[in-house]
Amino acid sequence: MAAGGSMGAAASTGTGSGARSLFRTRRLGRRAQQTLIAYSLLSPAIIYFTVYFFYPIGLEFWASLFSGQPLIGESRFAGFDNYVTALQDARVRQSVFATLTYAIGVTTASIAIGLGLALLLNQRLPGRTAIRAVIFFPYIISFVIVALIWQAILDPYTGILNGVLANFGMPTQNWLNDSSAALPVIIAITVWKDVGYAMLIYLAALQSIPSDFYEAASIDGASPAQQFRYVTWPLLTPTTLFIAVVSMIGQLQEIAPAYLITNGGPADATRLFSLHVFEAAFFELNIGYASALSFLMFLLILGITFVQFRLLNRDVSY
Amino acid sequence: MSWWRRAKLFIGTGLGALLSTGAGAETLTLYWNAGHAYQAYADVIERFEADHPGWEVRWERFQWPDMRTKLIADLAAKNPPDLVAEPGGWVQEFGQQGLLLPLNDFVAKDGEAMGFPEDWQARAVERNMLDDQYFGVQIHLTCGTLVYNVDMLKEAGFDAPPATWEEFREVAMATTGGGRFGFAPNPSIGYYWSWFLQNGVTYYDPETNTVNLGSPEAIEAIQFLADLIQKDKAATTPVAGSDYEGPQKLFTANRAAMIITGPWDVKPIRTGNPDLNWAVAPSLNHKEQATFAGGVSLMIPRDAEHPDQAWELLKRLVALETEIAVTKEAGMTMPRKSWVENTEIQADPIIGSFGECLPYAHDVAAELRLTGKHARIDKLLRSALEEIIYNQVPAAEVMPRFAKEANAILASN
Repeated sequence: MAAGGSMGAAASTGTGSGARSLFRTRRLGRRAQQTLIAYSLLSPAIIYFTVYFFYPIGLEFWASLFSGQPLIGESRFAGFDNYVTALQDARVRQSVFATLTYAIGVTTASIAIGLGLALLLNQRLPGRTAIRAVIFFPYIISFVIVALIWQAILDPYTGILNGVLANFGMPTQNWLNDSSAALPVIIAITVWKDVGYAMLIYLAALQSIPSDFYEAASIDGASPAQQFRYVTWPLLTPTTLFIAVVSMIGQLQEIAPAYLITNGGPADATRLFSLHVFEAAFFELNIGYASALSFLMFLLILGITFVQFRLLNRDVSY
Repeated sequence: MSWWRRAKLFIGTGLGALLSTGAGAETLTLYWNAGHAYQAYADVIERFEADHPGWEVRWERFQWPDMRTKLIADLAAKNPPDLVAEPGGWVQEFGQQGLLLPLNDFVAKDGEAMGFPEDWQARAVERNMLDDQYFGVQIHLTCGTLVYNVDMLKEAGFDAPPATWEEFREVAMATTGGGRFGFAPNPSIGYYWSWFLQNGVTYYDPETNTVNLGSPEAIEAIQFLADLIQKDKAATTPVAGSDYEGPQKLFTANRAAMIITGPWDVKPIRTGNPDLNWAVAPSLNHKEQATFAGGVSLMIPRDAEHPDQAWELLKRLVALETEIAVTKEAGMTMPRKSWVENTEIQADPIIGSFGECLPYAHDVAAELRLTGKHARIDKLLRSALEEIIYNQVPAAEVMPRFAKEANAILASN
């Protein structure tokens, strides 16, 4: 409006090019002013992201081009050798496979169980608030405490679970010492911890679906299963996409259960990719190689998130 | 008063308080192992602070892996602590990277008065040196050996602990039953070394630049332990994880007849079950009597802010009277020759027994560490040993494969 006013003034006084020049200067000045204000308002976020995200990512990529101990000790330029080594390393492939299994397992189970619990606890049940709180509680506990609790439960010799099994005359199990059982066990522990979050998000989504939809479906003769299939599930797809993407990104980066409960064992069965990177950096002091692994992980997560969006977004009903 | 004047007053008061708190207070940061935070060391730190007015020692305690993570991050940020306790191997590893302060000037100034290096056992000095430079001072010198439950062995008909592998297997099988186990091995790979060493196996040959763990002796050693667990069912399967206290807990709870451990477990066993009738045995003898050595050293990072004060504190922490106080409190064995000769130490049967193992204890990775590839190879070894113990793959299949992979790393630049 101000610019229009200036133009009107220039036309009425008939000052020609001088007026246009004044108008341009004023308009540019105002734009510059607005840009300055915008950047000023954005600057805390820009500085924050630059210092804590973009700079470390750049530094990590730089370090990945060196062998040895870039950033702390002696190193030499190695180009993309670290990337080539990583792609040829069978242990990297094994840890990627374990990580994908873990992330998909946790995400799928969290969605299925979280949705089931949300549907159940969305009904008028006695004590449902307390039950919701109990289910959500593990989510707010530190993984260190969760690890200690489950180690005490699953220890093959002193654990509570094997004690209970033995009391019922059932065979005891090597929960954490069996290579084929260890990964499913830590998936189950993570689901136990995280399922409350999925349940809470689904509950919020369920409560936002208007009851009119169900009434209309009911009048049309839809059974409860059909109501879920044709009303509830389509309207929950944005929530499912959100949980799936957030959970996958989180679980692909997860280190705590493998580090705290099994230390990557037995025989590398639970060596998640983050633990592999962590050990390369802090145990082997192979900083350049660990940086290359981290960068590959970044690309892997980016790729998986992109695929998730492409696959799930097709069916999302907003 | 306007809001602006109020804000200025508030900010000014805050800054003033902050500056006055910081003024005159110097902090010496000490990284320490949580399991070694004995009262005797707390007393030393308290006396140091009393003798150095205006100085405060920030005594930060960690488990070893967590300390390593924190320390590496500190070194990268050029903000390391002033003094660090390390579990063996870090001195040479970080020293090679130029991350530690050489201590030669300090030793030249104070060495004679504190007895360093003359009063230290030779290997405790050598493991903390690179070329002719001292980079660390040993504070604990330990070894692992056989610890046994006297009553459980007596109940099974054994008046004396086993001395050979055959006797050990016999005792382990005889004491297993009723929810109790003859032997509880530790998941940490350092503990596997007693078996390798007793079968005459060394880790690394510097002349050929190869590891020796693909040999028939190495295969026999690890297969002996695997068979004890898998075939004889006379030993627990070590619980995969980062908790290395499992065997000690089973032993203290009267559920394991024998474990291999060192003086670091004396205090937990004594306090965990004061009525337990237990003793320390000499290490087993197969081809030779041998065991692994361990211990803790103190080092000062190159970028430490207060190296002089760190050295002053270090001198107090390794003093003979401190060593004896720590031994009395926790049973820890020490690197000073005068500690070994001390009559009070010699009179303690448990400590004396651990002390007797020190002469034949080996610093397993001493030479491999100098290659700078020790950690990578140790990680491979851990995977290999776990494959044998947990996945029951024959040692004859796993160990040569491990040796080939490790030697490829050693041969690479």
